[in-house]
Amino acid sequence: MLSSCKKYLDVVPDNVATLESSFANANETQAYLFGCYNALQNLSDVRRNAGFTTSGEIIFPFPLQDQNVLGPGGDGGFQILRGTQNSANPILNYWDGYNMGLDLWQPIRRCNTLIENIDLPKDLPLYNKARWIAEAKFLKAYYHYWLLRMYGPIPIMDKNNPVNATTEEVRVKQQPVDSCFSYIVGLLDEAAKDLPPVIQNTALEEGRITSTIALAVKAEVLATQASPLFNGNPDYVAMKRQDGTSLFPAAYDAGKWQKALDATKAAIDAANSSNASLYDLKLTGSITHLGDSIRQLLTLQGAVVDSWNQEQIWTLNPQFGWQYMASPRVTADAAANVFAVYSNFSVPIAESELFYTDNGVPINEDKTWDYAGRYTLQNGDQQHFYYIRLNYPTAKGNFHREARYYADVSFDGANWFGSGNTDDRNMNYVNAVNGFASPPDQLRYNATGYWAKKLVHYQSTAGASSVWQGYSWPFLRLPALWLLYAECLNEVNGPTAEAYSWIDKVRARAGLQGVVDSWNNYSRTPGKPSTKAGLRSIIHQERRIELAFEGQAGWDLRRWKELQNVLTGPVQGWNVFNRTVNGYYQVVNVFQPIFGLRNYFYPIQDYDILTNPNLTQTLYW
Amino acid sequence: MYEILAFHICKPPGCIKKFFLVMRMTVFLLFFALMQVSAEGYSQSITYRGKNITLKQVFNEINKQTGYNVFWSSGIIANAPRMDVNFENTPLREVLETCLQRAHLTYSIEEKSIIIQADTQAPAPVEDALPPGTITITGTVRDTTGAVMAGVSIVIAGSKDEGTVTDNNGKFVLDVKEGAVIVASFVGYEQQRFTVVAGRAVYNVVMPRDVKLGDEIVVTAYGQKQRKEAIVGSVSSINPEQLRTPTSNLTNALAGQVAGMISFQRGGQPGLDNSQFFIRGVTTFGYSPSPLILVDNIELSTNDLARLNVDDIASFSILKDASAAALYGARGANGVILVTTKGGKSGKARINLRYERSISKPTKTVELADPVTYMKLYNEAVATRSAVGIPQFTPNQIQGAEATWTKSPGYNPYLYPAVDWMSTLFKKQTTTQRANLGLSGGTEFAQYYISGSYDRDNGIMQVNPVNNFNSGMKFENYQLRANVNMKVTKTTEAIVRLWGNFNDYTGPITSDQSGFATDLYDQALHSNPVAFPAFFAPDSANMGTKHILFGNNIHLTGGLMSNPYASLMYGYKSFSESRMSAQFEVNQDLRFITRGLNFHGLFSTNRYAYFDLVRNYSPFYYSINPSDAAINKYSLIWLNDQPGAAQEYLSYDPSRNNKNVNTYIYFMGTVDYSHSFGDHNIAATLVGTREQTQTANASTLQLSLPHRNLGLAGRLTYNYKSRYYVEGNFGYNGSERFAPNHRFGFFPTIGGGWIVSNEKLWQNSNISNIVTRLKLRGSYGLVGNDNIDRVENNRFFYLSSVTPHAGPGAYFGTRNNFTMNGPSIQNYPNPDATWETSHKSNLAVEFTLYKNFNVIAEYYWEFRKNIFQPRGYIPVTEGLESTVKANLGTAYAKGLDLHMDYKQTFTKDIWISGLGNLTITSSRYGHVEEPQYKYAYRFQSGRPINQQFGYIAERLFVDDKEALNSPAPAFGGPLPQGGDIKYRDVNKDGIINQDDQVPIGLPTTPEIIYGFGISAGFKGFDINAFFQGLARESFFMNPTSQDDRWNGYYGTTPFVNNAQILKAYANNHWSEENQNLYALWPRLATYDIPNNQQQSSWWLRDGSFMRLKSLEIGYTLPKRLIRKAYMSNLRIYFNGLNLITWSHFSLWDPEMAGQGFGYPVQKVFNIGINANF
Repeated sequence: MLSSCKKYLDVVPDNVATLESSFANANETQAYLFGCYNALQNLSDVRRNAGFTTSGEIIFPFPLQDQNVLGPGGDGGFQILRGTQNSANPILNYWDGYNMGLDLWQPIRRCNTLIENIDLPKDLPLYNKARWIAEAKFLKAYYHYWLLRMYGPIPIMDKNNPVNATTEEVRVKQQPVDSCFSYIVGLLDEAAKDLPPVIQNTALEEGRITSTIALAVKAEVLATQASPLFNGNPDYVAMKRQDGTSLFPAAYDAGKWQKALDATKAAIDAANSSNASLYDLKLTGSITHLGDSIRQLLTLQGAVVDSWNQEQIWTLNPQFGWQYMASPRVTADAAANVFAVYSNFSVPIAESELFYTDNGVPINEDKTWDYAGRYTLQNGDQQHFYYIRLNYPTAKGNFHREARYYADVSFDGANWFGSGNTDDRNMNYVNAVNGFASPPDQLRYNATGYWAKKLVHYQSTAGASSVWQGYSWPFLRLPALWLLYAECLNEVNGPTAEAYSWIDKVRARAGLQGVVDSWNNYSRTPGKPSTKAGLRSIIHQERRIELAFEGQAGWDLRRWKELQNVLTGPVQGWNVFNRTVNGYYQVVNVFQPIFGLRNYFYPIQDYDILTNPNLTQTLYW
Repeated sequence: MYEILAFHICKPPGCIKKFFLVMRMTVFLLFFALMQVSAEGYSQSITYRGKNITLKQVFNEINKQTGYNVFWSSGIIANAPRMDVNFENTPLREVLETCLQRAHLTYSIEEKSIIIQADTQAPAPVEDALPPGTITITGTVRDTTGAVMAGVSIVIAGSKDEGTVTDNNGKFVLDVKEGAVIVASFVGYEQQRFTVVAGRAVYNVVMPRDVKLGDEIVVTAYGQKQRKEAIVGSVSSINPEQLRTPTSNLTNALAGQVAGMISFQRGGQPGLDNSQFFIRGVTTFGYSPSPLILVDNIELSTNDLARLNVDDIASFSILKDASAAALYGARGANGVILVTTKGGKSGKARINLRYERSISKPTKTVELADPVTYMKLYNEAVATRSAVGIPQFTPNQIQGAEATWTKSPGYNPYLYPAVDWMSTLFKKQTTTQRANLGLSGGTEFAQYYISGSYDRDNGIMQVNPVNNFNSGMKFENYQLRANVNMKVTKTTEAIVRLWGNFNDYTGPITSDQSGFATDLYDQALHSNPVAFPAFFAPDSANMGTKHILFGNNIHLTGGLMSNPYASLMYGYKSFSESRMSAQFEVNQDLRFITRGLNFHGLFSTNRYAYFDLVRNYSPFYYSINPSDAAINKYSLIWLNDQPGAAQEYLSYDPSRNNKNVNTYIYFMGTVDYSHSFGDHNIAATLVGTREQTQTANASTLQLSLPHRNLGLAGRLTYNYKSRYYVEGNFGYNGSERFAPNHRFGFFPTIGGGWIVSNEKLWQNSNISNIVTRLKLRGSYGLVGNDNIDRVENNRFFYLSSVTPHAGPGAYFGTRNNFTMNGPSIQNYPNPDATWETSHKSNLAVEFTLYKNFNVIAEYYWEFRKNIFQPRGYIPVTEGLESTVKANLGTAYAKGLDLHMDYKQTFTKDIWISGLGNLTITSSRYGHVEEPQYKYAYRFQSGRPINQQFGYIAERLFVDDKEALNSPAPAFGGPLPQGGDIKYRDVNKDGIINQDDQVPIGLPTTPEIIYGFGISAGFKGFDINAFFQGLARESFFMNPTSQDDRWNGYYGTTPFVNNAQILKAYANNHWSEENQNLYALWPRLATYDIPNNQQQSSWWLRDGSFMRLKSLEIGYTLPKRLIRKAYMSNLRIYFNGLNLITWSHFSLWDPEMAGQGFGYPVQKVFNIGINANF
């Protein structure tokens, strides 16, 4: 009687799904692995990427009539520059997963769970088992790396604690940054040896991690460790754990650059052996007429927007979803449907001025370029026929610029190949003063008058029913590795021919002469490439230009500790709501960015420090 | 079955002393249920002759011939003289009287027993008085409702039982002497006396009910009936009549009616207007502080309780302390509400008919600013926040709207709309009808109670005749109830209860949780009043168009805006909901095993079914063509001209139809035993229960598994001389949600009572004239609460809950088309999870002053432990995907319940009564797992439960400069400006963040609820007023832009989410012209300003209020008028609900607390008629 009563309450059949069921067979286990990848794919959303939103490359207007056009809180990362960051409820909170951040500790736990349970499925072939473990290790490493870049010292969660772990066990401590770097590099090494160098079955597996990716990431990790932000940064020496352990190394260690150099070399070798090379333009669809000038621009841009090309070492599957934010309205159709194009991604004048002159040197160094008169007006001429609308008045600074400027940035008077018009003899163009591209309202406008054209595919067409030619978001391109290698070479050996050669490979594609020649011939400081500091500055600028709008600059500027300088002045743009030419071409301050020393690292949410008193708040927060 | 201890019927009444004699003499059993000793008992007759017979011989003969058991003691008849008898078909009564009179003995008949007692009254010197002439009097005895009363004893005062009893028609005939005083008495009614005067032969008697506290029967756990006198636990019972209010929601009548219940109503949305109620307040911060609700022993939901018909309720009790609730073991910690429905009464069929018609409207409607003010303030909001902001509305538009609003000559409502959405959508008031028919009656062997009711609630929405269907709302409820008791054998009773509750609805389409289209109210509050008119008059192109030309505009972000009028008109939804319940019970007297043993068995099942249907057309939206308007031509632009976007014919989408089905099965078996020996009475009860619910709509496997409960409970009581009571209870029950080793729990309690006023010492002293009754009682014990987490989150605490392939996933391949998803984890296993345990103590005193004034005062304290709460210390770095919870928390509560009532009848026609209830509770957190805050004021531990944390608002910033130089708020969003709220930097660290939040205000659930009422009657008129209030409660006006109708959160931020602006904000806000630092609303904005939307003292308000909850005036027509219509009673009444409210808060009804944009609480005016046949 009693036992039958007890049975009455045993309503659970034996075979309900539990955690173990996720590893019942190889198929379930692969699904679990995909779950581990989930956060990585989400990182490709530029709104979540501090390297994209908080870099000074693109700003987002405020206030708008509807601030939620990027989704609720979607513009949070951009607005950090307006001083909204705080420790009570941090923006881009990657510790807890709030405010456009992701909780990265969950995927880390997932990776650990996968590694712990990988022996459960009986039907999992050994080669897959090794590969999947390696992928999980890579992901674990990358998530730690992402956190490390944002927060500096972080706890290392290499093993899962049981759910009922004691208070002491779960109150983990931050590890010194060098331990974190070593841990990540160790994992990447372990992962690289079991990963395939290239994806064979691209239809099913493109986007999964290869050993080439792992080695390239390792190079980037080691370069980050060697960079000033982490390598003997005097500003952060004071950051200590509760038990007194120093979390940042006190002294600069040049040896770290050597390690980065070796790793970058290994990565380049791996890329070469997996047939990585610079992008060749592949045209799809019908082209009415295409000359060399526009072909060059499309090639430069296509390296980013033509997915899975041979130059992209690492691409994430999710597609860039914000072309309508980056594009100007260039056709009557696009203007007629105001909902087609928003144009809110605004490029500050300072970012546009980063691009070289057509002589391959910075605009303020070029002897032949009228730097002082760059805000005066000039009509489009025959020489710039392909870049600037003929006889259209625009800022003088838009003339005589390198090809990457015209490939990456659009402005009032710039021609626009594509958007339904593929005849480079009579292209659409941007009229931001009183034409299609001028603001229709207080919501769909570009706050500076510069558009990130690089992010908009030429086949994308806005109109009554827009078609946006999608592309998967690249995380790492071959030129980035080359420039990183040049950077390491310069840091280890100073200016050398070898260092120049890697930069020049990138410049050559942009149609520019080599560093030494360009500076010799056109720069007011011709000796700049011959000093270590001079070459460093050249490499940094080259890298910012080459990787513009790709979500890299924010991270680079941080590790170089240069972001604060970039953001000292006000963000400027044209007087975009004025509909006369002279009124429009007034430089106005959009806002004054707020970026202090403390903004190099992100605050940990105060509440997390309450729940884990062993944690130390990021310095200055 | 029935609680029989110490319950006795004496006839004639007032014979307690005799009763004790009897007790000494013999032991017997009496059944409360058979208290109506029928007149038939006397009709048996005896034939017996003999000389020199002893009394004993007579008794034996009576026993032989009639079957009555005669009880006597040998001592009592020892001195009785022998006699000669000669009875020929002589009635028993006469035989007894003849034989006993000479021996100075008397007797009483109880069921089948005749009890012989010594006659303590001095033998009346009958022979001394000269007979002044005998007359025959007649009369009819009725109760106050006019029903005739059978079996009332009519006795001549001073005589020994000389008299008669009324027959089935309430009639009596008696030969008496002039000047005799006649006493009419009946158990449960007040004794009536009258003097016989010469020349008058007809004496009609009306007997009012005698509500003596101690004699009330109270329904306690598992339907057990106990005499109030015998209860040692804390049980409040309400006269169901007190719960009668003119609404279709019973829960809204509870506030202030019961000592020990905290209750309040946060919104008036039909179907979602249930009051929240907590027995003795909120004493846990775990998942559920709600009481267990049982109707006829069956567990039902709050909604089912809400729909119960007051006319069907026989008793309504709440079990408050451990002793009363312990039988429910792991489920009773939050108290229990017990309702039983009416059963039949034997006698002629009695019909009760009630019809009511009500009008309801909001107690207070929020006042919105008019459209013109809206435009002006919108422009102000843009300008005040941005120097370069472009005004939304041009002066021309404002002028045009003003003309439309004031209907000035030449106004154009289409070009310059100014819409009062509220009155476009809603009528000012709505009507409700309720009809109810009850039928009861039966014979000795079978009794029935049948009732049916029909309610119809009409919608408040406007209807447009253009539609060929009626989208106006209609909600109908039918209920049918049949309770039948049958005496199958002498010892077996069977009861069948059938109950059906059916709802039918048709009305506008809604996504509302309630199914009712009340979300339109919310839409009206969130619609721009000047964007477009509700609909257009046809232009020349649309003269022949059949559809309504709804107004609209393209929203800033592309889509069409929402036109609430179109939402009202574009289609209709109907749903049908039913619950059928069948219940079978059997009562078996097991006296053949041993006397006093009874068995009660119950089987019950109910089936619930719901489905809905939606049919709609797709509205056509138009806007005016402004270029034509400029040249004074009227033409419209069709906005949604995409294929399929607008269509005239109805469409139907099966995927939008919801269906919901579930079943419930319940078994219960009870064994009772009671026994008395001498002054000792014991009783014991053992109850076993088993319950299962299954739902067809479970979303996961775990939720689809049956929900089960199993329990065993027992009670043992003992009393000595009806003065000292001791009671022990236990509940031993289990819940399938816990691991096997934590599945069953044992919950014991102990309690005791002492009726001081039954002590000889007390009765002999003078104080007994003042304090006519005094009882002390107390209890202590454990009860549990197994409802510790949402079933959806945590069905089985000891299992992990994983949904395969429902979690995060990824996709790969050059075309991104190979996708897989990993599992989602809802729950990690926690094998140690178990129920909350409550340690409850209760002390009470009950007393009656001057017979009429009753007071019950109770003091309780409670310690709650094992409260299931999230593990506060698990840092996010663990990477857990669901919250880990454990039984960690503790809490304390204490409080006072006070009940008072008073009744005074001055003459036959004038009476007055009053009652009052007061509930005071306070609870506080004990142990809570909290982070290690730096500041002592941030800890919840030791604070009252439901007290909120918030910032201390000092005033508004004077200007931007002050705002910039003040401690920076860490709320995100734009930096504060002048006119935004300035907070105090409590910890002086230069930042306003969580560390500056301090406990502010009182708890958001009231700590004091009270109610008092007064009733008076004069002849046919009666009046009844009930006041109710609450105190010690705070609330926060919701300053956000929330528009979450699913959970009932409505912020009052103007403009954001298309919200309208409250008139109060329009009149009193900080503006550059009027820089009032203490304005009601800070600086306006058209977007969220997080700085101003924090929970802070700025928005803190006093929630206390008192209201005239109900007022009723009734008139009972004189009998002579209605008799011709075969009615026994006819009463007409007017009543009102929520008529007047007194409060410090004036923007909206204070009972709704912070949700000003919520559907308002209703005020109801009602007229009703109640007839008995």
